[in-house]
Amino acid sequence: MGRKPENPLFLERQRYRMRRIMDAARFAPVLAAFLFLIPLMWGAGQEVPTASALIYIFGAWAGLIAVTAFLSHKLRKMPRDNWQERP
Amino acid sequence: MGILNVLVTVSLAYVLFLFTVAFFADRSAARGRAKWLQSPLIYTLSLSIYCTAWTFYGAVGYAARSGVEFLTIYLGPSIVMIGWWWTLRKLVRIGRSQRVTSIADLISSRFGKSNSLAVVVTVIAVVGTTPYIALQLQSVTLALEAFAGDVAKTSGGPSATTLWLAAGLALFTVLFGTRNLDANERHDGVVMAIAVEAVVKLVALVAVGLFVIWGIGGGVGPTLERISQSDIARWDVSGGRWMGLMFLSASAVLTLPRMFQVLVVENEDERHLATASWAFPAYLMLMSLFVVPIAVIGLEHMPEGANPDLFVLTLPLSEGQNTLAMLSFLGGFSSATSMVIVAAIALSTMVSNHIVMPIWLSAQGSTAIVAGDVRHVVLLSRRLSIMGVLTLGYLYHHTTGGGEALASIGLISFAGVAQTLPALLGGIFWRGATRIGALCGMVVGFVAWAYTLFMPSFGPEVFLSDEFLRNGPMGIGWLRPQALFGISQGDPLVHSIIWSMSLNALAFFVGSLVSFPTPLERLQGAQFVNVFDHSTRPGSWSRGMAEAEDLLVMAQRILGPSEAQSLFRSEAASQGITGYLPETTPEFLQRLEREMAGSVGAATAHAMIGQILGRASVTVEDLMAVADETAQIMEYSNQLEAKSAELTRTARQLRAANEKLTQMSVQKDAFLSQISHELRTPMTSIRAFSEILRDGGLDEAALAKYAGIIHDEAIRLTRLLDDLLDLSVLENGQVSLNERIGRLGDVLDQAEAAAGIENSRLRVVRSRVREDLVLYTDLDRLAQVFINLISNALKYCDAKRPRLEIAVRDLGDNLAIDFVDNGGGIPTASQDVIFEKFSRVGSDQAAGGAGLGLAICREIVHRLGGTVSYLPGQGGAAFRVLLPMTVVRQNRGS
Repeated sequence: MGRKPENPLFLERQRYRMRRIMDAARFAPVLAAFLFLIPLMWGAGQEVPTASALIYIFGAWAGLIAVTAFLSHKLRKMPRDNWQERP
Repeated sequence: MGILNVLVTVSLAYVLFLFTVAFFADRSAARGRAKWLQSPLIYTLSLSIYCTAWTFYGAVGYAARSGVEFLTIYLGPSIVMIGWWWTLRKLVRIGRSQRVTSIADLISSRFGKSNSLAVVVTVIAVVGTTPYIALQLQSVTLALEAFAGDVAKTSGGPSATTLWLAAGLALFTVLFGTRNLDANERHDGVVMAIAVEAVVKLVALVAVGLFVIWGIGGGVGPTLERISQSDIARWDVSGGRWMGLMFLSASAVLTLPRMFQVLVVENEDERHLATASWAFPAYLMLMSLFVVPIAVIGLEHMPEGANPDLFVLTLPLSEGQNTLAMLSFLGGFSSATSMVIVAAIALSTMVSNHIVMPIWLSAQGSTAIVAGDVRHVVLLSRRLSIMGVLTLGYLYHHTTGGGEALASIGLISFAGVAQTLPALLGGIFWRGATRIGALCGMVVGFVAWAYTLFMPSFGPEVFLSDEFLRNGPMGIGWLRPQALFGISQGDPLVHSIIWSMSLNALAFFVGSLVSFPTPLERLQGAQFVNVFDHSTRPGSWSRGMAEAEDLLVMAQRILGPSEAQSLFRSEAASQGITGYLPETTPEFLQRLEREMAGSVGAATAHAMIGQILGRASVTVEDLMAVADETAQIMEYSNQLEAKSAELTRTARQLRAANEKLTQMSVQKDAFLSQISHELRTPMTSIRAFSEILRDGGLDEAALAKYAGIIHDEAIRLTRLLDDLLDLSVLENGQVSLNERIGRLGDVLDQAEAAAGIENSRLRVVRSRVREDLVLYTDLDRLAQVFINLISNALKYCDAKRPRLEIAVRDLGDNLAIDFVDNGGGIPTASQDVIFEKFSRVGSDQAAGGAGLGLAICREIVHRLGGTVSYLPGQGGAAFRVLLPMTVVRQNRGS
């Protein structure tokens, strides 16, 4: 009675945004795995030059680093206690 | 000769520089001025021990041999770091809240502080890491050889160089790795030194890369052109290896003891992870950016048969860039030394906490805890462990003689330590994971790894005979180490990863499903898996026989006297006791155990306190006491809230009752005064006329008249008393109803007759059809109500041609009988009170009633289950009697 529910149904806008950023942080490794597994599809028949492969992989890598840096920057600003919030 | 001297001088100067850095970092940390030491940048750089000499030299060799495949080793950790929110954040939080000292400690702590589990993890870690340490020693030796040509061999040989190197590393690690006992106090000096080394190796590799691209290759475009014309121009990576290696390196970053040490144990602030999550992948990317160009140009420029593992060094050397080569050597040296130092610290903590200390403790018997200087013993055992680990690495290198391609040893090592992954991840994400499951999984996985990968890796005739490898043990084909169950995957590494990891995971899962965890396991499991929800502490000791003094003596041995005393004093103070000996509450014991766990590991600390307490395990009651604590507090608070609400309710009831009593008292007074008044009026006339009669002298007519008055007044008095009696009976609920069947119309007829309508001017209008209802109720009482209402109309209707309409209506749930006259009605102000006793509209008493009629009506109808009310707005006085439909038995009309 009188206690705040642990996972309220409706959040104010800022906390809602924060949780979506957490979701994005959870999704980032999935995206990374997907991007890094794309070379598997280059398999037989298709001749992919090493130079192009390098450009793709390093490009994807740099992109992921940028995305993670953005998300981490947002998450870092949040008080640490909020880190434990569930989605 | 000259260059070797320079090299040795520079190396020694570099080592001295590292010593200085470590020393000052340690000192400023001790003085509490270590803010800058604890920056996320230092944390990220310290993670770079992932990039060992294997990376520094070996990656180029790897690329020269297998093309782009080497990238998997960096992509896997990048994925893990990018996914920090899932796993690393949780690991770090657990590591901090449970004061974890190593990966073995974490797994042992999760599964009920089991030391056997810690021993298994330690063994896996030692077996998996020793070849790796050998690899580092070998790479530095090789680099030195490449630099100095044959000179090194004449001055003592590579073996002597390796020995010196191992000894030097052991000295550095002992000096800075075992300065403080509490692993959670962190090794600031070491971390600072490896951060510096991280910068050196990055700068060195990038410098060589830039030189190769612009100095030799002629820019980015031409270099890419050269790549396209080289031996590794085509993308030629097997899907299985691409995925398998990525998985392996991803798991290595979590399970390698040294990575766990820098990621979790040395972590200062969880938020550093947020920075490392992108900065470390960026570091890895930079480290691997120039690998392929160096490999391609090296293949082009270096003579046939040159070791591609050393291109980073030999390429600048062959171009006459001695300074660059020197920097490159320092980079490789940094990679090797930082890895060896951290690995040695991590392994020695595990060996010391989980193997040496338990053996020492049990050898000393239970008295040892109080008697010996445990602090000293722990430090000594750690130092010995460091030396032991490095000795093992040296022996491994010496026995195998090196020679194998560097990368393959690294991957075998990765696959070995990855066997702790299912227990680790299962432990932090799955509450159902048990100690038995973890034990089964790790043992099965480790055996599978050793059988399919580790032992065959030494080549035929070392551990396994050629015959054994080709045809399986005793000719059983499906047990062939590199083609288990007859499935020959082609690549022994992928084959081994698939089998060892899946058998491991399966054994872990099945073992967990069929076994039953101990209470402590379940508690720890809940605290690990829900680490973000729980802020409660681990452990659980009930107030036992533990003497605070014994505990203090023991704690002093482990934590040091001043720390132990201040801990005890602060605890005592928080309990409100002066002095050093607090009550041995479960909370205090938990806290003490946690503090000690930072020094000797969770399992040992638990066991030591257990010995003093007289038992080493917890009971279900203890667990419930700890686990229910929060629940109890919440329940208590709920009870308080409920009680408070109840009190409020009671107070409200009391107030209402008090008000009612006051009202009743007022009513009683009013009633008494009313009744005296009502009785007094007839009494007065009776007395007056009886006095006249007594005095005599009256004629017959007067006599009869006065006697008649006395008689009338006596009747009126009697009627008043009858009414009062009736009302009192009704109000007390003592009335018994005489229920029977009868027609409503008949009741109304009877009432009309009794009220004396026939002889009056009042005209009654009724609808006989609607009255044709059979009722089952007390008809006499109902008639009494009707009589009252009709007589009221008779008495009070002031119209010239008085008229009373009696209408019967069916309202669904209720039957309404309305009595509406065409008189002046009752003023609004009086409508509320007409049903009260003695209330009369206006002041006339002409009608001769005492004002009890409507009160009686109300009581009667109430008894019959209905209501009687005044119906305003009908053009005259109107009363409505509502009876529940249940009294209607039969509806003959309408």
